Amino acid sequence: MRNAIRVIPFLVRLYVKSRLEYRGAFLLAISAQFFSYACGYAAIWILLQKFETLGGWDWPELALLFSFQLLAYSMGAALSFVQFRDLEELVRLGTFDTLLVKPFSPWAYLAFSGLNIGYAGHIALAAGLMVWSVLQVGIDWSLGSALYLLAALISAALVNAALITMIGASAFIFVQSSHLYTIFFGFWELSRYPLNIFPAGLQWLMITFVPLGFASFVPVAHLLGKDIPVLSDLGGLAAPLAGPLLVLVAMAHWKYAISRYQGGGG
Amino acid sequence: MSTIIEARAVSKRFRQHRRFPGLRGAIRTLFTAEYSEVAAVTDVSYAISQGEAVGYLGPNGAGKSTMIKMLTGILVPTSGAVSVLGRTPHRERMTNAREIGVVFGQRSQLWWDLPVRDSFELHRRIYGIADARFTANLDYLSDLLDLGPFLDRAVRQLSLGQRMRAEIVMALLHDPKILFLDEPTIGLDVVAKDAVRRFLTRVNRERGTTIILTTHDLQDIEQICPRLIMVDQSRLIFDGDLRNLRATLGSRRRLTLEFGADPGSLTLRTALLTADEGLRKHYLLEREDISLVDVLTELGNGYDLKDIAFEEPNIEEVIRTFYQGRDAARAAG
Amino acid sequence: MYLAFASSAFQTQLAYRGQVWASLFGSAVHVFAWIAIWMSVYQDTASVDGVTLPQMVTYALIGGPVLTAWQWRRLLNLVGNSVTSGDVAIYLLKPLRYPLYLFATECGNLFYRLAVTGLPVLVIVALVYGMLPPASLFHGLLFIAFWALSFVIMFLIAALCGLLAFWLLTAFSLEWLLQGILMLLSGTHIPLWFFPDAVAAIIKLLPVAWVGYHPIAVYLGKTSVTETLIYLGLGLGWALLLAAAVSALWRRAALRITVQGG
Repeated sequence: MRNAIRVIPFLVRLYVKSRLEYRGAFLLAISAQFFSYACGYAAIWILLQKFETLGGWDWPELALLFSFQLLAYSMGAALSFVQFRDLEELVRLGTFDTLLVKPFSPWAYLAFSGLNIGYAGHIALAAGLMVWSVLQVGIDWSLGSALYLLAALISAALVNAALITMIGASAFIFVQSSHLYTIFFGFWELSRYPLNIFPAGLQWLMITFVPLGFASFVPVAHLLGKDIPVLSDLGGLAAPLAGPLLVLVAMAHWKYAISRYQGGGG
Repeated sequence: MSTIIEARAVSKRFRQHRRFPGLRGAIRTLFTAEYSEVAAVTDVSYAISQGEAVGYLGPNGAGKSTMIKMLTGILVPTSGAVSVLGRTPHRERMTNAREIGVVFGQRSQLWWDLPVRDSFELHRRIYGIADARFTANLDYLSDLLDLGPFLDRAVRQLSLGQRMRAEIVMALLHDPKILFLDEPTIGLDVVAKDAVRRFLTRVNRERGTTIILTTHDLQDIEQICPRLIMVDQSRLIFDGDLRNLRATLGSRRRLTLEFGADPGSLTLRTALLTADEGLRKHYLLEREDISLVDVLTELGNGYDLKDIAFEEPNIEEVIRTFYQGRDAARAAG
Repeated sequence: MYLAFASSAFQTQLAYRGQVWASLFGSAVHVFAWIAIWMSVYQDTASVDGVTLPQMVTYALIGGPVLTAWQWRRLLNLVGNSVTSGDVAIYLLKPLRYPLYLFATECGNLFYRLAVTGLPVLVIVALVYGMLPPASLFHGLLFIAFWALSFVIMFLIAALCGLLAFWLLTAFSLEWLLQGILMLLSGTHIPLWFFPDAVAAIIKLLPVAWVGYHPIAVYLGKTSVTETLIYLGLGLGWALLLAAAVSALWRRAALRITVQGG
């Protein structure tokens, strides 16, 4: 533990230093991603100029939903996506072994040695949009609801990080994880929109086996006083708990996956 | 000398999901639960004492890397037991890791875009090395391997030889009791290889660091490791002194005699004539009990002998002979 | 020779079956999401600006599995990376024209993607939600012409961006930029007739509009005979212009590579 405090900030520093070696490309990249997501949201905004609401949500409410989803994803993915997506290659090349011979947690090393500051564009856009929508939307903000928003946001980030880590860890078992990521992002795209526009079966799925519903719709709907399918009022309580729970699952899964790597497999 | 590494009847088998070729085969692969088992290490036993330098030699697929992975805690043996520094490596992975250093020849542990010094600093923190100790080690080791000129250069700008030297220094910064090296000289030029070999020998002698080295390059073993463990097809086939290997297999020494005047056809009892170039004649001494003196005695002093060249066989030949002998025995038996 | 490249690309793709299932899923989810969006906004109205829900479902079906079947990202990154790394020099040694070789290869990829991903998703989703036939024979036939043009223009834009990576030293950012532009302006998601009139009038003239909006508008019969032919002509003009730009950029890049070694 003491070790971690000395190592982790330094790991992050090293990574940031190596990223900023290519400052131009880095700035261009975060700007391009900011632009891309902004275009996506602009498209929905244009739609709503004509149709006013989507699934009963008006633009400020949708903006809150979009920004919440993107912010939670960015924070969670910064700690997980690129690092664990590339785990597949580390395993294939045998480079992962170099992590197992160090007196340090391989998970922590992976996650923090690549703490992806490249999400800065996403975060800037999401944070900006969230600030705007929080002021525009019809919620009577109080300390309670503000704390809830924060707790739900952190939980949502953990949901993203846990799911992404688990998919990446499957590289220890199946060797290929990229297809699973394609599936993840398919559902992730769906979780951007209010769940009530989808058929009941999918709504149920997004709150059970693919818990991405907790990373956007459920907490925001709770704040806005909208109906939550399947869970109704329990949804509000479940959202801040979903993240930590999934983290526990992910930790167990990681232990299992590494033991598979060490025990069998080529 | 205390035993620091022990392997007792260690075996490692891998299960590989059977794959079928072709498109229909691909679908079949999805539904079949058939496995094929590959034995990487079979029933290997040995004990290594503190301060030894041991070379691990064998052809590709013989099980060298797998053995190192079990010793360093990366893999779990299928059967048998491995003990390093009194612990089971995979069970006490972190504690074990603190006291060993590992260098992978083909997998770098240095940060590609950053100066070497940064990777060393990270290493210091991960292993919790005290400042004074770290500086002392860094100065001493980088001096020995001449890292000074490029300590502040980014790893991507270094040659392979420079990078390998940095990797080896890094692995020793925390004063490990054992240093494992997996093919460290692969791809290096002659000068770099020599520097690495001399360095490792020195570290082994001066600091008492136990060295385990896997390699294809027999010169590595000849220079660094007095002890050789040879594996082939997952089994241990030789464990002992390099010189004993030569003795066990019989040494075929080459003798070249140069005369002032052509003595004509000269066949001897004690040595086999392999080439006759008139003034220069080449012989092979096959029998271990016959020495140079015996040959010269047989020759007598009736010839105008000008010069003698006498060669011990090199290790490549020794090992090749070993395999040939074994294959011949297999073919016969 | 170029036909052989196309066929080879087709066969190579078939080997990656895991990817096939994953991309089928991705494509299906995407079109499904947009149909859900349209169904939701049309809940209380039958028609907006003369556009009905069945038309929008058809719009999503064509804009999705059909017109976005071909993966422009692969080409952009392929060109971008091979040009920045200098690997493309290999092709300079062979007796072929690199851009033409790319086009032939991508045609093969297009047919593959349509056969394996586009059509299956289209058929399945159409069976569930219903798809309108072309507005008329004329519109149907010209749709095919616009479809081909859409692929050519998308190919050229992606190749152009890939070549730009040579000077900008990054394909990654260009990919995201192009993605944003396509999302908003190509009409593959939001039809241009829902944009404010003034803005729409400008976008309709940009080459990206031929990637999504114009083909689908023709299919649905939203353009008169004369309009259709005019837009076809304009589209061809854009294609020629883009081809010239790609050709010019390619020559400059090739020159830099052979002279300076990349």
